[in-house]
Amino acid sequence: MSRSNSCFKCKSKSLVRDDITGHLVCESCGVLQEFDGFEANYSGFNGPQGTFVRIGTSGPKCDNVKTMVADITEGEFGQGFWFTVLVGACAYIIMRRDNQPLPIAEVSSVIGCEVHVLGRMVFRVVEFLDLKQSHFPEIDIVSLFERALRNSPSFDGVGEDKKERMRKQGIFLIQCEVKWFLTTGRRPQPLVAAMLVFVAELNQVDVRVENVAKELHAVLHTTKLRYKELLDALVKVAQALPWGKDVTRKNIVKNAPFVIQYMEKKAMSEPSENRKDLERFDLEDVVSELLRKDIGYGMDVEDDSRYFEVEDESMFTSQIDDVEKLKLSPECLSMIYTKFSNEVVHPKSLHTRKNKDFDLYGCTEWWNGKSELSKKLLLKRILEKDVGLEAMPLSFVNGCRAYERRREKIEAAKQRIDRIMRPPNGESGDGGNIPISEDLQPTKKRKGRQTEGVDWEDLIIEMLILHQVKDEEIEKGYYNTLLDLHVFNSGMF
Amino acid sequence: MGEQVGVEGSQPVDLSKHPSGIVPTLQNIVSTVNLDCKLDLKTIALQARNAEYNPKRFAAVIMRIREPKTTALIFASGKMVCTGAKSEQQSKLAARKYARIIQKLGFPAKFKDFKIQNIVGSCDVKFPIRLEGLAYSHGAFSSYEPELFPGLIYRMKQPKIVLLIFVSGKIVLTGAKVRDDTYMAFENIYPVLTEFRKVQQWPAIFLASFGCLLGFGWLTSVAKLDWFLLIGHWAA
Repeated sequence: MSRSNSCFKCKSKSLVRDDITGHLVCESCGVLQEFDGFEANYSGFNGPQGTFVRIGTSGPKCDNVKTMVADITEGEFGQGFWFTVLVGACAYIIMRRDNQPLPIAEVSSVIGCEVHVLGRMVFRVVEFLDLKQSHFPEIDIVSLFERALRNSPSFDGVGEDKKERMRKQGIFLIQCEVKWFLTTGRRPQPLVAAMLVFVAELNQVDVRVENVAKELHAVLHTTKLRYKELLDALVKVAQALPWGKDVTRKNIVKNAPFVIQYMEKKAMSEPSENRKDLERFDLEDVVSELLRKDIGYGMDVEDDSRYFEVEDESMFTSQIDDVEKLKLSPECLSMIYTKFSNEVVHPKSLHTRKNKDFDLYGCTEWWNGKSELSKKLLLKRILEKDVGLEAMPLSFVNGCRAYERRREKIEAAKQRIDRIMRPPNGESGDGGNIPISEDLQPTKKRKGRQTEGVDWEDLIIEMLILHQVKDEEIEKGYYNTLLDLHVFNSGMF
Repeated sequence: MGEQVGVEGSQPVDLSKHPSGIVPTLQNIVSTVNLDCKLDLKTIALQARNAEYNPKRFAAVIMRIREPKTTALIFASGKMVCTGAKSEQQSKLAARKYARIIQKLGFPAKFKDFKIQNIVGSCDVKFPIRLEGLAYSHGAFSSYEPELFPGLIYRMKQPKIVLLIFVSGKIVLTGAKVRDDTYMAFENIYPVLTEFRKVQQWPAIFLASFGCLLGFGWLTSVAKLDWFLLIGHWAA
């Protein structure tokens, strides 16, 4: 039996199935291929043979898959190459229907087909069976995270307690990501992989991003990108802390316990109560107050006065109840803070492994997991929560920047045109050289992208302005369309 | 500069036709025409400078002209598909130019049954859209599968238009045969999108104005915008 896949070593397509072991072997170089899910004579000598999609359960679900496949194929199951894709699609749909979603990338890798081929089959099945929303719910990223944490070999050696803690932290942070638009329109697997890596770091579990990404069938580059986006979002939240401006992507993991604790506390207050309280509640003051207690704990924080400067000390008395409400432990807080401040003073130590001797996370008080966000919530509830940051989608922010840039270019182009059309009076004697020097010089440096002069985009904008195209149209940036409609439009009436 | 009004240049927005104040920009017009004669594609490929023909890859001559900047697929049956124009008039003008080229190559080409097959437009509502919420509330028309495609595919029933809606607020509208359908589809979806902008109120919105307008449908196959295939089938 040969397959269309190629050998991972020599890329030869001549793969054969060993009749005895059932393994795939390359005929050219003899290398044993990775296990592809094929099983010869499953459950006994006369049992079925083929590719099996493991969905982690047995019994009624398997029967459901079989029944669904039989219904769709009108009893013609087993003919043609597309049946493995159909089996994968049915397995995917059944699991998703039961709110235990399988990642489509995992299914596609098991059956050896491209994700979009499987996706098309999934949609055909959904259409054929006329499945409504209740039977085919949206993909649930939280469930995907839980599944990945449970099944990933990288986390096999982690104790149950720690795993449970990681699960809750992961759910909390993933739901924050949902709120911050970091999940919308993004593939879930790289997000889940990035989150696993982050909570692993948070709990001192040694994993490699490469391994986690591979296990989850996520693209490594995307996983790293999502990881950075998560860190960036946490850095933004950290700005609310007194030492917020010193928190960067490099040291956010060290600060994460406090940032998450802050987010947790904010999420636990009701939105209305939150607003009311926040007027009185100034985190900076609270932290300053707590850090002053450091003297009592033998901490030397004299040099760090800027972190706990308080203008009006009389406010402390009125904020005692706020401190109580926060339930921040002075010990925990001061340990985290001292650790951080030491690192700011000795930045090199950030890169040394010996820091692990100091168990920053040994102080487990920072995580209590009592926030509702640590449990799976409906989108509506997630959006209602305040976690200390309201973020816009990155693509939207980039779009706004592009608009702004184009607007500036349009203004600049108008000024250039204006200078040419209305040159300064001849009496001044220096008017003649302005537009020429402005326009000609930069064309020589066109290759350098960051030149101060005009580039191709400016020239197009000038052309469009001269053809009386409205600014709002140019701002959209559809230059080709506008050129076709307004400039290269000869023969049209 | 901006206040000058000339014969060329963009027109002010007609708010009675576009209450949202946003006019989708037409990005591509696909049209077909029947030249009504059998064509020898190899001859065309050898004689025309702007033509490419690789029968192993695709059974049509691909020809391009620069003004209007378009591409045509010319089939041996005499049927032709013209793509890339930015307006209906441009598409027709381009199709006529291709027909003229074929005539000059010695074929008795006519210009029968010219028809606009698809209009693609795009626009930006300038606010982010909570796709998960939209998919949940408009499940009957929406397909949001971030594992496969980053946008939400909205299959509107009346007019029959497919919209690709992205979190950034950018919208692509496709499937129209007349530009007014594109405009109407956008005006229909705009109030819905405003409900799902960043801070959103949840939703008996759906039942109110829009659901009854659209009728009911169901999730169908994913965003394979197969106009191209459809036209290929028509032309063969």
